Amino acid sequence: MIVGRAFLVRLTPLLACIGLLAVWQAAAITLHNDSFPTAVEAIRAIPSILGDKDALINILASLRRMAIGFAVAVAVSIPLGLLMGRSRAVASFFNPLLMVIYPVPKAALMPIIMLWLGVGDLSKTLVIFLGVSLPVIYHSFAGAKAVEEKMLWSGAAMGLSAAQRLIRIVLPAALPEILTGCRTGLVLALITMITSEMIARQSGAGNILFNALDMGEYDTVFAMIIIVGAMGIGLDALFERIRARLVRWSEPQLDIPLSFS
Amino acid sequence: MKAARSDAEMAAAPAPKPATAMIEIDHVSQVFQTSARQDHLALSDISLTIEDGAFVSILGPSGCGKSTLLYIVGGFVRPTTGAARMKGKTITGPGPDRGPVFQEFALFPWKSVLGNVMYGPRQQGVKQADAEAQSRALLEMVGLKGFENFYPKELSGGMKQRVALARTLAYHPEVLLMDEPFGALDAHTRTRLQNDLLDIWERDRKTVVFVTHSVEEAVFLSDKVVMMTRSPGRIRQVIDIDLPRPRRRSELLLDPRYQKYVVDIERMFDDSGESEPRP
Repeated sequence: MIVGRAFLVRLTPLLACIGLLAVWQAAAITLHNDSFPTAVEAIRAIPSILGDKDALINILASLRRMAIGFAVAVAVSIPLGLLMGRSRAVASFFNPLLMVIYPVPKAALMPIIMLWLGVGDLSKTLVIFLGVSLPVIYHSFAGAKAVEEKMLWSGAAMGLSAAQRLIRIVLPAALPEILTGCRTGLVLALITMITSEMIARQSGAGNILFNALDMGEYDTVFAMIIIVGAMGIGLDALFERIRARLVRWSEPQLDIPLSFS
Repeated sequence: MKAARSDAEMAAAPAPKPATAMIEIDHVSQVFQTSARQDHLALSDISLTIEDGAFVSILGPSGCGKSTLLYIVGGFVRPTTGAARMKGKTITGPGPDRGPVFQEFALFPWKSVLGNVMYGPRQQGVKQADAEAQSRALLEMVGLKGFENFYPKELSGGMKQRVALARTLAYHPEVLLMDEPFGALDAHTRTRLQNDLLDIWERDRKTVVFVTHSVEEAVFLSDKVVMMTRSPGRIRQVIDIDLPRPRRRSELLLDPRYQKYVVDIERMFDDSGESEPRP
């Protein structure tokens, strides 16, 4: 019985997916609209997209931009956020700037960026960079600010310099919070990746999607939505694995701590 | 030659350690700015000498600035006026000669128990293998053999404080600065840790500055109790605790001299209208 229940729990997400597809299928058959293909039609279109060399190159180009934008954003944002968290001067300089940029949809900056930097990889990567940066900065900032003062004092007494304390105490202590920001950043990277390609049509997964929309190939449109969604789920799952490994020390494992005075 | 040498031997053998000043606190005052932007005098003109090898407790009601005084000695807080000196040198910042142990443990949660204890020696340039051997020995001394690979979150409060003590002892500070180290622990655990701390201290008699608000704890552990007044913190009285060592809790609690120290100190707090310090 217990084994059966555990099996059922693992099966639930799959059941949810099948359920969603079933509703989609039923709705598409009922509505019988050209712009709303059935689930089966959409899924059937997937192999032809993934089998097409051009489409694959496009998707890989998207992923490359996303990876570069994400990596550069993380590399810049974590140190900045940590510095902001530990230095009031740095925080009060950057905070107003970030507060202005935070609520602006980064894709809305795309036309201006295109004007300056052209419609190529640079513009799109920059938009992804902007989209990822803010949550990572914010969470690194919050994480660094919450680091216990006494922990830093303990390090100082051992002879760690201010710079060493930032890298060897603040960074690991804030890591769980930083990685939460990175996870949000990863999803935002995917979103800005697609929207940037929607605005600057040239290549990429978003380009395939919106070209298909223009040409009325609705099964391809929905197939692309499934592909992008699957990419999101896959990347998030991968990231979550890495995250769980890195911050194993902070996850609650035992409900009751070992009792021993 | 011969005579001089035997003189020296005679002088050295029976006499206790010569009383040399380890820490001097010289007219230290501390002013904090409150959130309402008003000046709050936390410590007022404190002067105190702590001798090499002495176990000194700083006792006072909460909010009397006793922890602040300890942080000044640690170099974590800069005094507004006055200075603290260690072996004659003015303290300008933290250093491995003064090892803190905090009530909050302040362990590095991403490091294992062993990793925490090895952190200081590694920072001091001790080789990996040597640091590990020393740290394992220290963990055994504080009663944590077998817990080397645990993470701090997997330990109880008492165990965490044992790790924190071992972590500080690992880099061989000359002075231990203990900031209400057992304040967050239950009574039973607290008693065990007091006993174990005394056992460990008996081995090398490091200088210890121990901040507490418990009269019993201060009398039980210390050679000297520095009583402080409520804010602004001033030294009210310094009391020498003349009780034999090594101290056994079971004997000491029955000792009328111990009881008298406790009662006298508690009465002094009562007489001054201070809220009664309780463990």
